[in-house]
Amino acid sequence: MTLEEIRENIDRLDGRIVKLLNDRMEQALLAGRLKDQIEDSERERQVLERLRGRATDLIHPGFVARVYGDIMEESKTLQQKKRKLGAFQGEHGAYSEVAARAWDPELIPMPCPEFTDLFTGVEEGLYDFGLVPVENTLGGPVGPVNDLLIGTELRVAGAVELPVRHCLLAPPGADHRGIRRVYSHPQALAQCRRFLARNKLEPVRYHDTAGAARMIADKRPGGAAAIGSALCAGLYDLEILKEGIEDHERNLTRFLVLSREDNREAGEKCSILFSTAHKAGTLFRVLEVFARQGLNLTRIESVPEEPGTYAFFLDFVGSIQDPPVRKAIEAIKGITTRFKLLGCYLEKRVS
Amino acid sequence: MNQLKLSVKNGKPLKRTVVTVGSVRVGEDFVVIAGPCSVESEIQALETARAVKKAGANMLRGGAFKPRTSPYDFQGLGLKGLKILEMARRETGLPVVTEVTDPRDVSWVSEYADMLQIGTRNMQNFSLLKEVGKMNKPVLLKRGLYSTLKEWLSCAEYILAGGNSQVILCERGIRTFETYTRNTLDLSIVPAVKELSHLPIIVDPSHGTGRLSLIEPMSLASLAAGADGIMVEVHYNPAEALCDKDQALSPVLFSGLMDKLRHWQGALGTWTAEGAVAVSGRHPLALAAR
Repeated sequence: MTLEEIRENIDRLDGRIVKLLNDRMEQALLAGRLKDQIEDSERERQVLERLRGRATDLIHPGFVARVYGDIMEESKTLQQKKRKLGAFQGEHGAYSEVAARAWDPELIPMPCPEFTDLFTGVEEGLYDFGLVPVENTLGGPVGPVNDLLIGTELRVAGAVELPVRHCLLAPPGADHRGIRRVYSHPQALAQCRRFLARNKLEPVRYHDTAGAARMIADKRPGGAAAIGSALCAGLYDLEILKEGIEDHERNLTRFLVLSREDNREAGEKCSILFSTAHKAGTLFRVLEVFARQGLNLTRIESVPEEPGTYAFFLDFVGSIQDPPVRKAIEAIKGITTRFKLLGCYLEKRVS
Repeated sequence: MNQLKLSVKNGKPLKRTVVTVGSVRVGEDFVVIAGPCSVESEIQALETARAVKKAGANMLRGGAFKPRTSPYDFQGLGLKGLKILEMARRETGLPVVTEVTDPRDVSWVSEYADMLQIGTRNMQNFSLLKEVGKMNKPVLLKRGLYSTLKEWLSCAEYILAGGNSQVILCERGIRTFETYTRNTLDLSIVPAVKELSHLPIIVDPSHGTGRLSLIEPMSLASLAAGADGIMVEVHYNPAEALCDKDQALSPVLFSGLMDKLRHWQGALGTWTAEGAVAVSGRHPLALAAR
């Protein structure tokens, strides 16, 4: 091994150590949500005790105590700051995280493995907000999210419309000529189909975009690259070989911001959920109300519940303070079997 | 010439080919392609792009993959250079032409560039010609430094036969016994190409002469000879250029050249009916006012 190769290994390990520290700080923030007080000397003693038991020839107990003293000090400082936590589904670098950062740069983005973890996490107060994708201009509605929205008591406190800009990502210094396979979520691969064909690259399905980017960074399989966000490049130290490789320019994903509380600022858009009796013309009469009040619908989605029974999601432009909106809602309440105002909020459009 | 089916007129009054590069129509308007020999850094490429845009250039040139005489010379920034060119295009709106030297790079360079350049040393690199022939991208084919007109047109034929009809020829000087100039700029080839072929032809007086003082007169002569445009090397600070520093125009000199070209074109326009410009079949006064 040459000095250069050894240093490359060290750089890679450092990247992983920082990533792990970040993961640990995230867990500390979650613990902070459940603890009565920040200071817990008994727990700190246990942690150090356990780590001392794992000392090696190179990592002696005194060193462990010093390093972890600093880490736990930093954890407590972060817990004290009480910054808002915004959950997203997926790994760091996911487009949902890009949306969370766009919605509020002050928010700490927190990854959740599944949508159910995100919903329960926000409901139970582990997170302040949760950002979930509801529809994509190319891929259509996000089914699992709509199912969960029916059953939750959470409120819609905001929305983000994010242009999806796919990047081809490879380890730094990788020769672009040697790339043969490209890993990503099937939807991302489908959105870049023509780019992949033009450059004779073989698409390989992976469970998510950011996960594929992380795998490429960690394992460095030869001749492989990933499709993911530009955020992934910074997080996993990958090089962007080409930005904007999607075949269609109008590739937008819309996210809803979920919260336990209603949005308190003036809104410009409303989301409602309703069901109608299983009779002819019931849905038509609901839509008729919006037409009469001159309200512009921006989304309508039907989700089957029982055979023949549907829940409808409907978004429209307007504030709950507007008289036509109030009139419409009052009228609809009378002709539906279920009605829920999910929220009135501002929608952020990212350019 | 009778083996050439697609690149020559073969006596028929073929329509002249107009190649559209971004918003520029080569073969219709007199175009000026300017920029550094190679992309050296973000600041160098962007500063130079801004300067040539301001002076009125229609297209930006810049090398990312450089074929150098010596393996120890600066070889170009590669993919990083392409990304910088993309930034320059985004900022200035100028279409970008850049050289491709390796068949494996053709699709990659096509992702970034508006026109692919085949350099003089690769004019007869047939695997490269076949590869660019498959692309739906304009190709600037430079004349080989030892090539006859027929050999040159045969190489254009390779690209056309591959299905890519968007070929522009570029005269850049040939090797003769003369050593004062870097090459001998063969301007007689311009009307000769116009007689034989329907393809547009531009002239590169920077490589053609290799001497700063000769670039302007040869640019004006190219215009007079009926060329469809010129390609010149400009560097925002020629003294610092990593390659071809002796033939790079400063922004001030380039701006002066653009003024002269506009002036001369105005004068040439008045001859249109009877003379030289009629041969080129070009519309006069195509150089946009600044």
